[in-house]
Amino acid sequence: MNPRPMKVDGRRLRSERTKQLIIEAYLALAQDLSPRVPTAAEIAARAGYSVRSIFERFPDILALQVAAVDYCFAQVSALAPPRGVESDRETRIEAYVQTRAQTCERWVRLWRSLVINQGDSPELKARIRLARDRVTERMELMFAPEFALMQPEERRQTLIVLEALTDVESWARMLEFFGLSVDEACAVWVQAIDRLLPETPGGAA
Amino acid sequence: MKVDGRRLRSERTKQLIVEAYLAIIRENPHTPVPTAAEIAERAGYSVRSIFERFPDLHTLRVAAADYALAHAAALAPARDVDGDRATRIRSHVETRAGTCERGISLWRSLLLNVDENNELKARIKVARERTIERMELMYRFELDRLEAAERRNTLIALEIITDIESWARLREVYGLSFAEGCAAWVAAIDRILPPTPEGAHLS
Repeated sequence: MNPRPMKVDGRRLRSERTKQLIIEAYLALAQDLSPRVPTAAEIAARAGYSVRSIFERFPDILALQVAAVDYCFAQVSALAPPRGVESDRETRIEAYVQTRAQTCERWVRLWRSLVINQGDSPELKARIRLARDRVTERMELMFAPEFALMQPEERRQTLIVLEALTDVESWARMLEFFGLSVDEACAVWVQAIDRLLPETPGGAA
Repeated sequence: MKVDGRRLRSERTKQLIVEAYLAIIRENPHTPVPTAAEIAERAGYSVRSIFERFPDLHTLRVAAADYALAHAAALAPARDVDGDRATRIRSHVETRAGTCERGISLWRSLLLNVDENNELKARIKVARERTIERMELMYRFELDRLEAAERRNTLIALEIITDIESWARLREVYGLSFAEGCAAWVAAIDRILPPTPEGAHLS
């Protein structure tokens, strides 16, 4: 049976495209102005639309911020898939650090803006929590052989500390405050993660 | 020495304004930029009194940062510096956690305003350098064994892990109690430090 071709709603498609362009304009400005949140007029000028167009698609700037954060998360997932999951300890630590460093380097200004401007917004707070949960999940995957050896409390403590160590702001501090190069900062993370993790069980990849 | 009463009163007023500013920040950690009117009301003075003593709010923020740094140093002297490894780690962690617990609101306020004020950047730098110096003192037996790059990497990792925002995250995001937060730090520092040379501690 031949599937019937789906009818494309051109107006809806254009509206979605406009939404995406507004989000991209917001992200570009938020990156430039971080940590200040861009105004509706600035976003409209950057996107090439009217202020009214923005508020036809987003009820307020907070809704636009939330949509932009979701868009970023999708990009992060697409650009930073787990690598070397089945490899030996050294390769897994290196792979995790390289991927995480790239993510931090790319998103640090937006992350800073998000954290500073979260205010009392439950939506933004939930996204920040989600981002941290994803970092933790990634580490649980990458260091599964080592975590398998730990008691639940020790495992929880180690994950919390590793998450703080590999936080976006921690990355920024190594470069901005301590003046490290990207390679030097990666070396700090590799060394610290290697010490924080217990010995890899014999026979694990 | 003759005491100039008017000058003393003026200094006291300055201090009360700084304390009012810090109290507002502590109570409103999510809106850490109080207005002059809010500070004046809290301190029991007029807005004019504030600007007679501080030319602008940036200057007041810098004075508040200096006051808080001095306060933090006074409340957190180094203890057990010659103790055994476990005692030194526990002592450092409890002191640092206490400092973080008291200072988080002001710290966030500093970070929020730092881009517009180089003097605040200098205060943040001082605070971080003090954290590092304290660890160099507390863990000198272990750190002295390391090569320069490894030592630097270890200190940077320890500074990051015991950062004030890391502490806030333990408490606010992960819901750990003070004791649980300390336990997480103790375990992490113990793993990150190299073994203590035999006979290193003095007491």
